[in-house]
Amino acid sequence: MHDVVYYAAMIWMTGLLCVCFGLVIRTHSSIVRIVGFDAMSLVLISVLILFSITTESSYYLDAALLLALVSFVSTIAAARYHSERRVF
Amino acid sequence: MRPYVFDVLVIFGAVVMTLGVIGMIRLPDVYTKLHGASKSVFLGVVVLAVSGMAVGGEAMFSRLLLICLALLITTPVTSHVVGRAAFLQHERMSTAGAVDESGSILPANESPPWRV
Repeated sequence: MHDVVYYAAMIWMTGLLCVCFGLVIRTHSSIVRIVGFDAMSLVLISVLILFSITTESSYYLDAALLLALVSFVSTIAAARYHSERRVF
Repeated sequence: MRPYVFDVLVIFGAVVMTLGVIGMIRLPDVYTKLHGASKSVFLGVVVLAVSGMAVGGEAMFSRLLLICLALLITTPVTSHVVGRAAFLQHERMSTAGAVDESGSILPANESPPWRV
C-alpha cells in the first residue's frame, strides 16, 4: 500500500520534470529559462528523495544534497551573468 | 494508523509541487512565476523530506535534515538574485493592475544608479 503511493508520486514527479523541461524549451524569455531550471533541479531533488525512500538506501540523498548546492551556484551564476554580463 | 499520515504527507507534497509548476506555467510575468518556482516547489520538497525523515532511519534523517537546511538557506537567495536580474534587465510587470512600488522605473538602456 505504501509502496504504491511512493511509486505513484515518483511517476508524477517525473511527469512534472518533463513539464518543467517543456517550459524551459518553449518559453521566449531567457530569465524564465533560469527560473525553470531552478524548479527542475528542485523537482529532481524530490525524485531522488522518493527513490531513496522506496529503495530504503540513503546513498541517493548525498546526490540530492550535492544537486541542491550545485543548482544554487549555477542559478546564481546564470542570473548574474544575465543581468550584468559578468559573474563576479 | 501512523504510516498513513506519511502517505498523506507525500500526496500533499506532490499536490503542492504540482500547483507550483502550474503557477510557473500559467502566471504571466517573471516576477509572479518566481512565486511558484521558489515558494511552492520548495515547500513541496520540504514536505516530502519530512515524510522521508519519519519513515527512514537515522542516516536518512540526517541527510534529509541537511537537504532541508541547504534549501532553506539557498532558495530565498536564488529567488532574490533572479528577481534582481529581471529588474535590472527592464522586465515589465504584465500582471493586471501591477504597480512598481520601488519608484525607480528604469528607462531602457540605462544602468541603475547603485553599484551592481
